[in-house]
Amino acid sequence: MSESQTLKLMSNDNVEIPVDRDVACRSILIKNMMDDIGEQAMTEAIPIPNVNEAVLNKVIEWCVHHKGDPPAANDDDADTRKKTTDIDEWDQKFMQVDQEMLFEIILAANYLDIKALLDVGCKTVANMIKGKSPEEIRKTFNIQNDFTPEEEDQIRRENEWAEE
Amino acid sequence: MSAFKRTTVTGGLQRQSILAPLRETQIISSKPVLPAEILSTILDYLPIQELLRFARVSKRMREMVYDDTRWVPRLQLMGCWNESEARRRAEAARRKRSETLQSLQQQEAKKVGIGVNGQPNGTSGAEQPERSSVTIFDAAAEVQRGSYVNGGPSKAAVLELDDGFDAMDLTLKERPVSYKALDASSRLKVFSQVRSLRGFARQEYGKVYGALAPFYLNTVRCENHTNATIFRTYRDPDQQAQMLSNVTKFSNSDMAQGWQQRNEKFAALVAAFEQAVSREFEQALDDGDVAGKMRKYAHVLVSLNGGHKGVEIFISRSSIISSRYRLGNPLDCLNQKGPGIFSSEQSFIFFSNLSTAFNEQVGILDQVFPASVNTIVPFIKRVGKEVIAEYLTPLFDEAHYTNIEAYLKAVSVTCEQCLELAKSLRPTSASGDDFYETVDEVIVGIFEPHIDLYLREELEFFKKKSTSEVSNWEKRLSEQDASMESMFMANVNRQADKRDFLTSFKKVVMMPVNVLPAFPISSPFGSKPATAKALVNGDTLPIPEPPSSQASTRPSSPGVINGTTLSVNGTTTPLPEPPTTELAAKAAIMNSRLEGIRSLFSIEVALNLVHMAKSSIERSAVFVRLGGNFAKDARFQCELIFISLLQTLGTRHIKAGFDQAVDHLSNYNPHETTDNKRSTVTPLITFLELVNVGDLIQQMIDVFYGQEMVAAKLTDRDDFLNPAVKEKKRFEQMLDERVAAGLNKGIEVLMAEVEHVCATVQKAEDFNPGASTGANPDVMDIGPSEAANQIVEIVSSHTKMLVGSTDKNMLDVFNQEVGMRLFAALCKHLKRQRISVNGSIKLISDMNHYFTYIQTLKNASLLQFFKALREVSQIYLVDPSDAKELATIIADGDRFYGIFRAEEVYQFAERRADWYQIKSKVERAMYGIGCVVM
Repeated sequence: MSESQTLKLMSNDNVEIPVDRDVACRSILIKNMMDDIGEQAMTEAIPIPNVNEAVLNKVIEWCVHHKGDPPAANDDDADTRKKTTDIDEWDQKFMQVDQEMLFEIILAANYLDIKALLDVGCKTVANMIKGKSPEEIRKTFNIQNDFTPEEEDQIRRENEWAEE
Repeated sequence: MSAFKRTTVTGGLQRQSILAPLRETQIISSKPVLPAEILSTILDYLPIQELLRFARVSKRMREMVYDDTRWVPRLQLMGCWNESEARRRAEAARRKRSETLQSLQQQEAKKVGIGVNGQPNGTSGAEQPERSSVTIFDAAAEVQRGSYVNGGPSKAAVLELDDGFDAMDLTLKERPVSYKALDASSRLKVFSQVRSLRGFARQEYGKVYGALAPFYLNTVRCENHTNATIFRTYRDPDQQAQMLSNVTKFSNSDMAQGWQQRNEKFAALVAAFEQAVSREFEQALDDGDVAGKMRKYAHVLVSLNGGHKGVEIFISRSSIISSRYRLGNPLDCLNQKGPGIFSSEQSFIFFSNLSTAFNEQVGILDQVFPASVNTIVPFIKRVGKEVIAEYLTPLFDEAHYTNIEAYLKAVSVTCEQCLELAKSLRPTSASGDDFYETVDEVIVGIFEPHIDLYLREELEFFKKKSTSEVSNWEKRLSEQDASMESMFMANVNRQADKRDFLTSFKKVVMMPVNVLPAFPISSPFGSKPATAKALVNGDTLPIPEPPSSQASTRPSSPGVINGTTLSVNGTTTPLPEPPTTELAAKAAIMNSRLEGIRSLFSIEVALNLVHMAKSSIERSAVFVRLGGNFAKDARFQCELIFISLLQTLGTRHIKAGFDQAVDHLSNYNPHETTDNKRSTVTPLITFLELVNVGDLIQQMIDVFYGQEMVAAKLTDRDDFLNPAVKEKKRFEQMLDERVAAGLNKGIEVLMAEVEHVCATVQKAEDFNPGASTGANPDVMDIGPSEAANQIVEIVSSHTKMLVGSTDKNMLDVFNQEVGMRLFAALCKHLKRQRISVNGSIKLISDMNHYFTYIQTLKNASLLQFFKALREVSQIYLVDPSDAKELATIIADGDRFYGIFRAEEVYQFAERRADWYQIKSKVERAMYGIGCVVM
């Protein structure tokens, strides 16, 4: 029984990682895949082509910790933007990684369709942005500035109402 | 991993170098850049301020931040985004744009020249004329962008983009100004200025944010409520309340991280404010300062959050709630008229007190609260729950505990009174159209817990009561049975009374009943009660009523009338105790008439049962007015009561009575009774009387059904599957069957009586005068014999009795049968007599007498038989010397309409007194002639 409940994931650097089935099924992608192809998925390693071993391990770590969580209610009404929960302590610690890792985790969560993890990641990034100047943000996100100083000032002025 | 390292190195590089573009292409392909949708999600978590700073990062970011989808939901959360308005505006804008597009294109060439300079001001100056419509800039920018990206160098394109963008924002430039100019009072009305404008949701949101966010953020940060700027900016509590209400609305749009804590904190502030105002309001309430402070603080509470708190305080402090026990003590209803009797006056006093108090309070409510607040609905709900329900529950419980009847009455009467109360309540100006519906709902809510029990009890009660009524009567009957039996047989005088009753009964009762069946369908109310009353008037006078019966029935009938009033308001009569309904009128007559008669079943019992059913059904019918499921239940219950009435009345009472009557009939033996003088058969009279009474009861039921069940819309007459209709049919069928069975027996008995009379009364010398006495045969009186008179008397009196009381067809069959049997009996009788030529005169007059009687029955086929019989009697008149003629007559079949064959006539001829003298002649004539022919 326990044999069949374990499946293997293969990262893009060809490392096979065994995972409990219900842990892996935190990922909607894998869950749907299991539903589609069935038992065959048990025998072969499932390739996760754009996630490397370190990130995959991290994601699995998160999934293990959260495997008891109730499945997220996917309501698509207007209030979904109003995310309720704050980041809990464990997640905060979990997210204390360097920025590339954080981004990789977010991308992996996005790819694997793990909504809760994606949310936690986004919140962490949002916290990172807070209090930063546009220049710092550009640096963080590796975004090229395509504004002239006048343009930038213009935006600042037209949104003056938001400043205190 | 290697990809990471590379990105960190290059990502940090922001130096402008020649190689930079080359590197950047590398970076973009290898560095983990978050895709747009993830960035978008991240932005959701940012507070407004951070969000707009993020817009300054790059053009793509700006687009993302400025996008309507980010701002419209916020406006929606505040409840100031109107999708249809937005659509309308967008439509209008598109139309305008397509109109102006062409004219713009004409100007385009000019603008290109100016635009290259890239001076925003210049461009804006050029576009000054089009500033009237915001969307035009959009279109212009679009057009410009297209032309420049194609033609010019990238730098120019950027400038032009900037230019176009700048132009678009010309209107926005005014915004900071207007925002700055926002004074304290215009901030109060900021929501009314928000438009639903596609493409400008951010700016619209900005208006609100600019006006309200400072207060919001300040309050959230502020440790002490009293220090909040909101209270320092606004001094007037009403304005404070409005502002708090606005900010509360605004706080809904806060969706950045930690919004829950912020909202909670702000809600705490609002709650504290509300608390303070409520205290003031309560204080004012205690002081009774209705028009002043109470009104003021009520308005403050209303502008804060609709004023629920104020209404609640008002209601809970209201005199109705707080001093509800002063309105009436529920147990008074039960104790006033002695224990266990429900008195509706007490509850009526309670309800009228309540109504007055309520209307008074509503007046105050109207004064205190603004018209926009519906205060009365919570008020009435509360009153219903705490006053009415608390009054009724102990009343019902106590009544249920002590006396079921009182309970039933209490539930029904209070329900009715509640509905009356609902009508007497005065709605406030703010209560709207559905006020009375709400009140009805409240009443339904009050009675909901009781209604099931009530309906069950009602049925149970009726069943028990009706059964006990019938058994009581049965017991009484069986006690009297022995003596009554003898009284029936012996007391001949009673017959006259009964006949008297029956005739008057038919006259009085049948008429309204004949009129009635048509009544429930369509007739106006006025005329028929009048006829009923006329009958009451006309007939009570000539027919003397025994004083004892008057004493016993009169007191009961007014009660009945009062208890079962139907609404005949239009007709007023000078009678001291005018029966108000046809049913009641009938009941009154019946009761007085039937008082002296003890029969096998009693119309009195039937009446009592009907009245019980009526009151039960009327009590239940009150609940039909509550509507919904209760109405269905109540209706169903009414049908059940009706069915139970029919069953008790039908099977237990009437059927048993009929069975007994038929029993009596079959046991009757005319030879056993010694009284030769009577002209009627007592058991048959009893039975026929029963038929009449049974028919009366059936008519009564029919009227009852029509009036109580159909007219009151409790049941559907045309629904043949309806159990009530089915049961009624069965009842009628049962009655018909019993009557038929009884009549069958009755005919037998009647014929036995006829034969008995024939045997005992008919004297030998009737038809053969002088044979035994030797008196002068020539002297005789012409006319029917005594026996014939008696027979006709017996038969006709019995058949007449049925007229009008049973079905016409059944009556015909009955008459036919009686006639046939009479015919057979007479033939038999004739064959036993010896008839002389002189006596034949008597016989012929006898036969004529029978014939005349049969004529009254109006039955053609029957008439033939008696005609034949009359012809037969002629053969005795033939002189002995004319034996030959006699033979001809005997052989002439046509003469007797084919009813008698020659052999039979021959048999009759044998009864001639001189038969032996003429026999040979006749036979010779008959057969001799016959032989010759052969």
